[in-house]
Amino acid sequence: MPDTPKLRIFMTGVGGQGTLTATQLLAKAFLSEGLPVTAGEIHGMAQRGGVVESMLLLGLSSPKIDHGEADILLGFEAIETVRALPYLKPGGVVLSSSEPIWPVSVSMGKAATPDLDALRAKVESCASRTLYIPAQSMGVQAGAAQSGNLALVGALLGMNIVPLSASAMERTLKENLKPAIADINIKALRLGLDAASQT
Amino acid sequence: MAHPLLEKQAGQTHLLLGNEAIVRGALEAGVQIVTCYPGTPSSEVPDAFYQLSPEGPFEFEYSINEKVALEVAGGAALAGAKTMVTMKHVGVNVAADPLMTLAYIGAPGGLVLLSADDPGCHSSQNEQDNRLYARLAGIPCLEPATAQECKDMARDAFALSRELSLPVMLRTTTRVNHLRGPVEFGPLPEPEPVQGFQRNPQQFVPIPAFSRLMHVHLLEKLEKLVGKSNNSPYNTVRGDGPLGVVASGISRAYLHDAMVESDFDAAVLELGATHPLPKELIADFLKGRERVLVLEELEPVVENELRAIAQQHGLRVEIQGKGFGGLPQYWEYSTQIVAKALAVFAGGEPAAVCACEAPENMPPRPPNLCSGCPHRAAYFATRRVFGDEPVYSSDIGCYTLGLLPPLSMADFLVCMGSSISAGSGVAWASGRPVVAFIGDSTFFHSGMTGLVNAVHNDRNLLLVILDNRTTAMTGHQPHPGVDQTVLGDNLHKADIEQVVRGLGVTQVDKVRPMNLKATTAALEKFKDASGVRVLIAEEPCPLFARRVLKIKKPKVAYIDESCDNCGECVATLACPAFVVENGKTAVNALACSGCMFCLQLCEHIKAAPRSA
Repeated sequence: MPDTPKLRIFMTGVGGQGTLTATQLLAKAFLSEGLPVTAGEIHGMAQRGGVVESMLLLGLSSPKIDHGEADILLGFEAIETVRALPYLKPGGVVLSSSEPIWPVSVSMGKAATPDLDALRAKVESCASRTLYIPAQSMGVQAGAAQSGNLALVGALLGMNIVPLSASAMERTLKENLKPAIADINIKALRLGLDAASQT
Repeated sequence: MAHPLLEKQAGQTHLLLGNEAIVRGALEAGVQIVTCYPGTPSSEVPDAFYQLSPEGPFEFEYSINEKVALEVAGGAALAGAKTMVTMKHVGVNVAADPLMTLAYIGAPGGLVLLSADDPGCHSSQNEQDNRLYARLAGIPCLEPATAQECKDMARDAFALSRELSLPVMLRTTTRVNHLRGPVEFGPLPEPEPVQGFQRNPQQFVPIPAFSRLMHVHLLEKLEKLVGKSNNSPYNTVRGDGPLGVVASGISRAYLHDAMVESDFDAAVLELGATHPLPKELIADFLKGRERVLVLEELEPVVENELRAIAQQHGLRVEIQGKGFGGLPQYWEYSTQIVAKALAVFAGGEPAAVCACEAPENMPPRPPNLCSGCPHRAAYFATRRVFGDEPVYSSDIGCYTLGLLPPLSMADFLVCMGSSISAGSGVAWASGRPVVAFIGDSTFFHSGMTGLVNAVHNDRNLLLVILDNRTTAMTGHQPHPGVDQTVLGDNLHKADIEQVVRGLGVTQVDKVRPMNLKATTAALEKFKDASGVRVLIAEEPCPLFARRVLKIKKPKVAYIDESCDNCGECVATLACPAFVVENGKTAVNALACSGCMFCLQLCEHIKAAPRSA
């Protein structure tokens, strides 16, 4: 399939943020549009408050992204976005939540609190395009903090860098979630979409 | 609405996890009995079967360990049932004894063993390559690389197993178990009755006189299988030229992507049916090549067999694999690793990887015991009573995270159940006090034998059974001791205290670890005693309590204004609900589980009603 766009999206977040759910829903939406999609995720001990990483690849066979390969880095948490920078291809695009969840080492005062502005400058120095949105706050605004993951997905679609329409994503949410939860997630999706469109 | 995996018609395409696709493949084969012991990266397979079991056309059990799981499955296959047994790679070590002999006596109903390997040790203590087990036992091995193949190979493994009356290994790796991809469904068959047991002692009772012949028959079956492997749709050749690449497992996907994104061209032999190898197909492939590169993660299994085939056919082809172009014998491959090796293989230079670097000194985010975890409370009390004096023997479960400071409650660990037996050995040889920790599920898995052995041999050991009433680590699967499973009450509960007493332990106590005073008193009492002592620390996992037992904790902890910010609570307990901001200690009410353990540490920590 020579016309299939090849795209690698690396996603990172903290256990409990819905990183894997967002990956799965995004992959289902791509598949519903007839695009050849493969996704991968790393489980194991991640659910105990650790880092959760997942990958979504279009037009490729493997489920893995190595250093320097990701066209897009999607960070569901501000510190993990920076930690995942090595996966970004030089000149790739970074979309991240601006809101940190402090690691226990920071919240307990054992590690220095990172300077978020300095981290953001570091990200901007690596990427050709960077967008930060307050994803969790948008989730709260939509009706549930957990829907912040879909706000980030909405912003991804709003940046026009993936071959997927917001209407296809909304259809996937309706088909896969209970109506009340789908409504909240669609609201969050639209908030993210609008935030990206305004930049 | 029926579960999508139970869709009867063929033709639909669903996005499935590799592990879900394996379930669908087994259903398309008409699987009748499923046994397992959960373990990452295999766990979603039995969990999906468990969820489907009320409406699915099969019977299912969570077995207490992999040896038992394979023996139950082997018996079911002897009774003519199409049977699947699932486990992670190290589980096959536990099940190795029945595996070796089941290959001799056979599996008339069909028996598929899922071995989920973990190159890169994402969640395992080693990265052993279980393709070698297929060779040791003499059973066929299929290795999927996509979700579609997970489904198709699981289905076809049943047919192969039944045709040859031989167990078949479906060997996956973490990336394959946890990939998601499109899967086109085939039809589900109408349920059939189990064939039934046909008496045949010469085939089913491996006394030496019979087993000698069984081995000969097994080798005959394998010879027949080589022919099948030559014609298997999972072993394919494409392209031509002096260069050849042979790939198996997930390396096939990396090879595909590396070739799509570069000018590299070569003849390609993809191997999905990897034991026995298709010798004629391989010999024909080698004959046309000057040089061949083998891509496979971990051990050079295919590579070495290729060298043997080349030697048998007198071929002068150069065969490369491990160590060539940076291909390691450890950890995982990737598209990038494969692309580099292909570049070197083609006589060029590998492209340098351009990647950003993360700043140094990023605060780490290791996995942590949850807030309200009873293991933290038990560890806290143990450290308070024993300090650094004993050797702490750990085991496999969430509680291994007690390794991290400030709890520092793991000095060594070998494998499931070893806390008791290896702890006995350390105590015996060193003469030092040993405190061993084991979880409830791990105790049933393989702790009981070690405990009765310690009693029998009069070892000096304090065992703390961290009984959180579930198999927490792998996702709250039931075990014989649980009160309730996600599907309802446990009707035949095995009581851990009675089991411990039944094994001959006379010094037994049981506490709620959230009660610091009682736990400390019990530990103090055992500290001054000798022999085998068992303290059962029983308190449900807070995640399990909330999600399954529906227990609500109405209060949260807070730190009142009189606190002098000495910081001891944070430094010794390391509960993730505690925060230190501008030198002031506080409790994050959203993160607090309401366990109230910390109230027993300090008079400045108090309880307040949880706000809605």
